[in-house]
Amino acid sequence: MSDEEHHFESSDAGASKTYPQQAGNIRKGGYIVIKGRPCKVVEVSTSKTGKHGHAKCHFVAIDIFTSKKLEDIVPSSHNCDVPHVNRVDYQLIDISEDGFVSLLTDNGSTKDDLKLPTDEALLTQLKSGFEEGKDIVVSVMSAMGEEQMCALKEVSPK
Amino acid sequence: MVNPKTPSQNSPHLPRKKMEEDRVLSSVHSTVFKESESLEGKCDKIEGYDFNQGVNYPKLLRSMLTTGFQASNLGEAIDVVNQMLDWRLADETTVPEDCSEEEKDPSYRESVKCKIFLGFTSNLVSSGVRDTIRYLVQHHMVDVIVTTTGGVEEDLIKCLAPTFKGDFSLPGAYLRSKGLNRIGNLLVPNDNYCKFEDWIIPIFDQMLKEQKEENVLWTPSKLLARLGKEINNESSYLYWAYKMNIPVFCPGLTDGSLGDMLYFHSFRTSGLVIDVVQDIRAMNGEAVHATPRKTGMIILGGGLPKHHICNANMMRNGADYAVFINTGQEFDGSDSGARPDEAVSWGKIRGSAKTVKVYCDATIAFPLLVAETFASKRTKP
Repeated sequence: MSDEEHHFESSDAGASKTYPQQAGNIRKGGYIVIKGRPCKVVEVSTSKTGKHGHAKCHFVAIDIFTSKKLEDIVPSSHNCDVPHVNRVDYQLIDISEDGFVSLLTDNGSTKDDLKLPTDEALLTQLKSGFEEGKDIVVSVMSAMGEEQMCALKEVSPK
Repeated sequence: MVNPKTPSQNSPHLPRKKMEEDRVLSSVHSTVFKESESLEGKCDKIEGYDFNQGVNYPKLLRSMLTTGFQASNLGEAIDVVNQMLDWRLADETTVPEDCSEEEKDPSYRESVKCKIFLGFTSNLVSSGVRDTIRYLVQHHMVDVIVTTTGGVEEDLIKCLAPTFKGDFSLPGAYLRSKGLNRIGNLLVPNDNYCKFEDWIIPIFDQMLKEQKEENVLWTPSKLLARLGKEINNESSYLYWAYKMNIPVFCPGLTDGSLGDMLYFHSFRTSGLVIDVVQDIRAMNGEAVHATPRKTGMIILGGGLPKHHICNANMMRNGADYAVFINTGQEFDGSDSGARPDEAVSWGKIRGSAKTVKVYCDATIAFPLLVAETFASKRTKP
């Protein structure tokens, strides 16, 4: 191949969404990718090498966005994908009519592509707090190209 | 009158006492030595092997028939198996009116042999009996095989790594700490199962691919034929079963290390489907469509293989020959311990069938039986 075109990726250049980690080293409370979904591990059990072959780790985990329970069994010496999970706080500016929120980023610009949370309690708290004119800071969790509001707190006006 | 209770030298009652004694004696005599029916000509005489003629193994084995107890049962089992091997349709002198022209043809009738079902449990495959089984399959001396999952994986694993001789008394906790699994007085290292896992998972991946892309619907017997093809090792009976097109049925496929592998594989890449319905059609079909052949069952051990073969033969109103070699007892009502006569009550064996149960560990009885039947017939000119 003589002419190699160089492709420059727009965002996320150099930052991968997951990193490999040996299954035996992933603990309860850590993160793991199961069936392409980023999950938080709630249970790990290891079965020793035996008639079933190599030692294996049995993971029970919750999808961090959909809250669905997923499980996986992996030989403990194999590598699993662990998602990079980020939490960023933003100040809430506005809630739009079509279900998006407008947020103030650190550098002063706005972020308008975040949808309202699907969680009922969080949604109610957000809407009522905003209508009452309170200052709200939202926590946005992001992993593997997906993001979702996961918490909010009301701050007293300065 | 002389008092009978006061004996004196020349009393007249002495002859009476002697008569009394004689009468008692002859009564006792006739009880102990009850006149017997003569068995001469009706039953075989018991006679063991005479080592004065040297150590002649074939003669030694043939002497078992008249040695008594289980030796005689083994001798009878050898007879029954030889009858299975010798029978031809031509032996049946009554030819039914409604049979086809082909079935009336004498040379065809000479070619039709008994269909033999061979069943065995997994411990026997862990043992050296696996090599006896391999011999039978290699030379297409049996027609259908039924076994448990262990009976399959132990054969495959032996191609990847050996099983070793240990001892019944080795302590469990100690063995666990050393990664050794005990099967009776045999030892299988954990590592052997790891090798099995490494070997089989890619095959399952490929099979799943074929299921999705080529619409293959896998059954236990199809899976086992594929594994026999993949192992490609002449020491494996599964390999020879694949080459000789002998079906191996294992309805309990999930109950073993192979089942563990299916379980793990379903987490990695789910979707592999294994259809047992197709296989029960095939297995029962082997019995039902055997006619005009006779059917014979050789079953080592109890459990699933024993029942599965008997049940299939029930579909054709019973097998014509049955040889059971196992150590099971009938007092607990288990099928494993049941004698052939119990199977007759179910219609799994015909009332007219030739049957034997040898109460013996098959590791002793089976190689000896094969020596005097399959193997000796094959080596005769």
